[in-house]
Amino acid sequence: MSVLKISSVSKYFPGGTKAVDSFSLDVADGELVCLLGPSGSGKSTLLRMVGGFEDPSSGLITIDGEDITHLPPERRPTGMVFQSHALWTHMNVFDNLAFGLKLRRTGKSEIREKVEAVLDLVGLAGYGERKTHQLSGGQQQRVALARSLVLEPKILLLDEPFASLDQHLRERLREEVRDIQQRLKITTLFVTHGQDEALSMADRIVVMRDGRTEQIDRPDVVYRNPQTPFVAGFIGTMNLIDGEVAHGRFHRAGLSLDLPISDGPAILAMRPEALDLSLADQGQAVVHRVTDYGTHGLVDLDLPEAIRVKAMVDHPDRFSTGQSVNLAPRAVAAFRDGRQVFRS
Amino acid sequence: MRREPRPKRSQYSMTEHTAATVSVAGTRRGRKYAGLFLVAIPVFLVAWMVIWPILTAIPRSLMQVGTDGSTSFSFANYQFFFSDRYSLNNLTVTLWTTMVCAALLLVICLPLALYLRFTSNRIAAFVQSLAIFPMFVPSIILSYAFIRVLGPNGTVDLLLNGVGLPRIRSPYLTPWGPVIGLVWDNIPLTVLILVSGLGAVSNATIEAARDVGARRLAILWHIILPRITNSILVAISFGVLGIFSSFTLPYVLGPAAPEMMGPFMQRTFRDLQNPPMAITQAVITFAFCIVFGLFYIRSVAKNRTP
Ligand SMILES: Nc1ncnc2c1ncn2[C@@H]1O[C@H](COP(=O)(O)OP(=O)(O)OP(=O)(O)O)[C@@H](O)[C@H]1O
Ligand SMILES: [Mg+2]
Repeated sequence: MSVLKISSVSKYFPGGTKAVDSFSLDVADGELVCLLGPSGSGKSTLLRMVGGFEDPSSGLITIDGEDITHLPPERRPTGMVFQSHALWTHMNVFDNLAFGLKLRRTGKSEIREKVEAVLDLVGLAGYGERKTHQLSGGQQQRVALARSLVLEPKILLLDEPFASLDQHLRERLREEVRDIQQRLKITTLFVTHGQDEALSMADRIVVMRDGRTEQIDRPDVVYRNPQTPFVAGFIGTMNLIDGEVAHGRFHRAGLSLDLPISDGPAILAMRPEALDLSLADQGQAVVHRVTDYGTHGLVDLDLPEAIRVKAMVDHPDRFSTGQSVNLAPRAVAAFRDGRQVFRS
Repeated sequence: MRREPRPKRSQYSMTEHTAATVSVAGTRRGRKYAGLFLVAIPVFLVAWMVIWPILTAIPRSLMQVGTDGSTSFSFANYQFFFSDRYSLNNLTVTLWTTMVCAALLLVICLPLALYLRFTSNRIAAFVQSLAIFPMFVPSIILSYAFIRVLGPNGTVDLLLNGVGLPRIRSPYLTPWGPVIGLVWDNIPLTVLILVSGLGAVSNATIEAARDVGARRLAILWHIILPRITNSILVAISFGVLGIFSSFTLPYVLGPAAPEMMGPFMQRTFRDLQNPPMAITQAVITFAFCIVFGLFYIRSVAKNRTP
């Protein structure tokens, strides 16, 4: 039963970089929260502050109500998995896992029991005597995870643990980690800049930008109901069109559609999968390229004023370059001044 | 009929394959000769300037010249060396100096290297240049600097005198004179080797250790030291080999008796005009260095991690 509370935490680096800017987040017991954001948005810095590797410039971090803001890492009930697994290459797998337990003066037989159990958990039973360099990249990352898990931390922290692995392995490990996390019901903070990783694993996603929170929500909500144009553009593919609203209609690049908001500039957002296409003479757009992904197709469309949008279609073979089509969005959202002002 | 094309194709691909192999082997052979050539120069230099003198020195140390100029095989030189109190004292003081220097080097340089590796500010940069500085100073100048500071009526003496304290017993012309000089002289190389060894210990491995609960001492003992064992061995071996056969610093700073092997050899050769005895001392010195060298090679080979 562990709850992590981060309250208006900021981190300034010498030289004036504001890596994290009054960030707040509550992670519930057993929850997996993904920190998602572009490079340099402060995800690692935030995670390292929770782990104790960076000292917050201001703010408060508590675990189960206990203030850990300025505790050194060795006195925190957190376990961290680093991007570059950071295994101790002069020890074998068993000793890597046993090191933390030995420091806690755990008995020999108990160490053996615990290490074997956790190796089994990560699917590496019988690998104890291996040297770390005799493992594949995925196995090394599993050992790193096991090394944290064996100490039964209250909070598990992972900083892009799969970044150096190939796509297939990444997907498999993602599922494994999620399974283990749910089985142990361990409160977890997971850093990634891969949106599919966040969407597939997280209970909630924190979208970060320049050290600040853009949106905190369940994955499906972040996807369907982005609160800012940044989130809309960052998660999934989104067609964003700058335009003007006049008398309840949005106008730009030959498009004109109902948008019941006050007059003024607005950004129109449409998902490719919510955009219907129909062939038409003198249509609104011209097909630029058709890409067939097997399960579906993606059509790139040229609108006037050099604006390009993407539409997802079930039967890509119905379209070909140069055709003229009309667009009919099934759902749109609109943003103004960086906030969502309309959603259908 | 339908099967025919297959063997043809495979034959074709085989010839292609062979051709490729031949050309690769050709360039490889060329590279091998270039490599041999590059290796040949140092091997030749070592053979000419180290191996050959040793090979000639050993028989000369085993030769006894009679009064009539005839030569005969004999262990007399070695028998003399190992039964002569004075020679043995010199050997002992050389070994003692070497061991004390090695221990002091480790005690001084390891914390220094750790500090330089894990701190990055202006003070660290200053400390680094200070530590490396003696490397650029010739031993003879180090010696005189030592005498001016620690010698009789040196800076330390004057300072102590100035505040009314008794004068120190100067280490100048005691066995501690060479020790201080040699340690100072060897700090730069030792620190450089250790710092480069520590460069291989990534921050993440140390953070991971802290994460599982290791304090400073545990990190040093279980994470850092095992990773730099080889660097320590290399540094100590370099130091020991250099110190054991050093000449200038013990000659200038050390006592007249007992003296280290370097000055001892020189005096035997020049002042006592006894080249066979000097050669014998050289062979014995070399034998000790070989033992250190073999010990070093064995430990490095044993500790080798890929
Ligand atoms: N030790 C440091 N000293 C100075 N600035 C730093 C330091 N560490 C990070 N920063 C700065 O803080 C900001 C946030 O960095 P951080 O590593 O947290 O980003 P990130 O979101 O993890 O990015 P990435 O996805 O590339 O890992 C960046 O602008 C970075 O340059
Ligand atoms: Mg990062």
